[in-house]
This record gives sequence, C-alpha cells and structure tokens, in this order.
Amino acid sequence: MAAVSATSVTFGSSLKLLKSSQITGKASSLKMVTVGWTKSGFPSLRTSRFRVSCSAKPETVQKVCEIVKKQLALPAESELTPESKFAALGADSLDTVEIVMSLEEEFGISVEEESSQNITTVQEAADLIEKLVQKNSEA
Amino acid sequence: MFSFLHMASFTMKIHCFQRNFSFSSSALVPVQLPSRMETHFWYILPDEVKSATLLNQYLDILSPCEKENVLRMHGDNLKKSALLARALVRTTIARYQINSQVSPTSLKFRKNIYGKPEVDWQNHYDRNPPPLHFNISHTSSLIACGVTLDSPIGIDVEEKQRTTKNNILSFARRYFSPHEVESLSVISDPEIQRQEFLKLWTLKEAYVKALGRGFSAAPFKNFTIRFRAATKGHLHLSGNSNSKASEIIVESSDDPKTLTSNWQFALLELTGSHYAAICKEKYDDTVEGKGGVPMKLTVRKTIPFVEDQCISGKDALVLVGGL
Repeated sequence: MAAVSATSVTFGSSLKLLKSSQITGKASSLKMVTVGWTKSGFPSLRTSRFRVSCSAKPETVQKVCEIVKKQLALPAESELTPESKFAALGADSLDTVEIVMSLEEEFGISVEEESSQNITTVQEAADLIEKLVQKNSEA
Repeated sequence: MFSFLHMASFTMKIHCFQRNFSFSSSALVPVQLPSRMETHFWYILPDEVKSATLLNQYLDILSPCEKENVLRMHGDNLKKSALLARALVRTTIARYQINSQVSPTSLKFRKNIYGKPEVDWQNHYDRNPPPLHFNISHTSSLIACGVTLDSPIGIDVEEKQRTTKNNILSFARRYFSPHEVESLSVISDPEIQRQEFLKLWTLKEAYVKALGRGFSAAPFKNFTIRFRAATKGHLHLSGNSNSKASEIIVESSDDPKTLTSNWQFALLELTGSHYAAICKEKYDDTVEGKGGVPMKLTVRKTIPFVEDQCISGKDALVLVGGL
C-alpha cells in the first residue's frame, strides 16, 4: 500500500537524506529533520522576542551564565543568551534548584520558594538577583 | 495484524492529509487499563533508539507545538530526549484503547491550573472521560511515564551516579526538612549518603508532582519523607517477590492536620543504574476508609512501535515498597 499524502514527497526526501547521513549512529541526523521541517513551511524557530533588558547589569548576567554553565557542565564555548531557558539547556528540577542555591551563595541573597519557580531563564535569574540585592542593601 | 489495519484506516480517514504511513513498523500493542490499585510504569532508554526512520515516526505523531518545543532544545541529545518523552506519553496513553478514535496523534493535552500536564479528552468524549492519569520524568539516559486509574500520580527518575555540585548536607539544610537532614547527616560513608540523598530527592519530587501543585506550592522543607518498618502487607511487583518489608511515609511539618496518609510510595532501582520514585493515592476499598490496598506495580521497557518488554526481577528491583 502506498502512502498517499501531499507532504509525503517532502518526508520522503528528508528521510533519504537522513538515511545516507546516518553513519556513526549518533543522532546528528536530527539536524536534517530541522531543515526538512522548515523547508515544508513549518514556522521558523527564530522567535526570539525583542527584549529591552534595562534591569540587570551585564556583570550579573555574565555571572549567572557562568553558574548555569558549570551546573549543567556545558562546554565553555557554548552559546548562552539571556533568553536561554534552563530546561532547553538540559536542566532538570534538581539542576534548577542547585542553580538557585548557587546563585544565593554567590550573591548573598535568599530566594523564596514561590519565586524559584519563576526563574526559567538567565535573564529572569539576573533580574531577580538584582531585585533581591537591592532589597538587601536597603534593609 | 487486524487491529493494525483497523487503526490505520481510522487514522487515515481523519488525518490522511497530514500523515505519512510507514507500513514497515508494527502497531502499538494495546494494553488493559490499570486497576485502581495498580501503577503502570513505562520507560524508554534513548541509547536503544538509533534509527532515524523511527525518530522521524515519533516526530510525526507530535503536535506542532510539541515539535517546536523539541526543536528548541539545545543540541541533538536534548532534542532526542524531548522527542522521546512526548512520543512515550502519546503512544503509552493511546495503548489503553479506551476509545477506538484515540490514536497517539489525536490525543490532546492541557495543563491544570497549577501547570501540571493532563490529557484533554474533549476531542473524544463529551462527558465521563476515563480517569486516566499520567506523569513523566526524564534523565538523559532514561525516560519514564507512569499511568494510573483514578489517582493522581507523580514519578521521578534520577541516575544513581548523579552527583550534586553543592555539598549534600548544605543542600539538604537549605531544602529538606530537619528530620531528613538529620537522617542524612548520620551517614558516614559519603557514597551511601549521596545515594540516600538521591532516593529522598526522587521521593520528594514524586510527591510534589503527584500533588500537582508545583514546587512552590509544596515547599520541600514543609514535609518529611521517611522509611519505617511495615507492619503488614508488601508491594507486589508482577513476577517478582523480592520486596523489602518497609514502607515510605510522608508527614507534613508545618500543619499536622494536613492529610498525608492517603499517599503511597514505591522506590525502584532500574537496570542497576537509576532510581525511580512513584507516588499515588492509596486505593481504599473498605467501607470505613481505614484500609489501604498494597500498590501493584507493572514495569515495562518499551521502544514504541518496535517492542515492549515486561520487566521484573533484578532489572527492576523494588528497593522499598509501599502499603
């Protein structure tokens, strides 16, 4: 029985590409899948929202990036943007809690349980840190 | 064979303008719904899934939103894990054949008010949807999905070898209850201490996920998980009678009146490499509500569309059972 669908040609060609590039058995062929998808009109993934981050200092953001890289054992050259989501970088719940704890120690702050759920990106962490550091200095 | 064609013709009718069928693979083996005392625990090992064709097949059953999320992950290994997690959830729930219209692709999901994912049956049912609950957890090397009937469920898996970047006791003092810190601090062997820490972590995570209210609604500090010798009953693992005669209980530290005795736990060691914690509500079939049936656990390793394997014995060792 043949597969009858309008998109079968696209799938077929990307499958062929996948088969021929699969030499090592690594999942590097998934890169092809990404290309195949955008070729078939799938929405582009460059959806970075334009964000004016005037709250956290660059040094704070930098420090957060360092801590995140260390926690997740990311290679030094890996690209981390302020918008990078911890989950997308491979952080599970234990990693996230460890990151929060490292940030508390680094900046001398205390993060409430309610707030720790709101820390999902580097930027959110940096913003919260600055807010808490300022509160500390005002106290 | 026949059920595959039956499933194929249904999905062809509904989705023929979207789907590409790969007739070389086998269909999902259907499974009976768990009983109220049962937990079904399904897991997949990413290292065993290498075929690009198969990964493409999994990608094919995801919703557009899920595909976007998968492709947003950084790096191929994370993309693969995310893909397998969604494929595992969709294929697992579709096996329960509650309604012949349900296929892995047709399932819809939503989040409860606290953000916990659940099945949205409105596609298939006007009312009286089946009370099927699920919860997933993943590490880079193992992805699991727990399924129950009529009971909230939470699961958490961790690699046994996992280390923490922070000192274990410092971490425990910051996040665990005083009771738990105490129980960890008396362990002199650092390796055993680390393992006990991980067991506690997975059990606490499983509890919070079962509650379904998120980390901030059930702060880890406010409840204690501990082990105590069981007076009666033990966990039943299909085909395996190797269970320790102790149970896991949870107690609320801040409010003694908080009901916690209705939850039951199980802690497993999978393939010698992972801890898995499961938490669900106890099923009480007694009139006075004073009973509590032991949890019946069925563990299956799967590669959806390829093979399923019932796991018992040393590959799924029950470390601590629950009453």
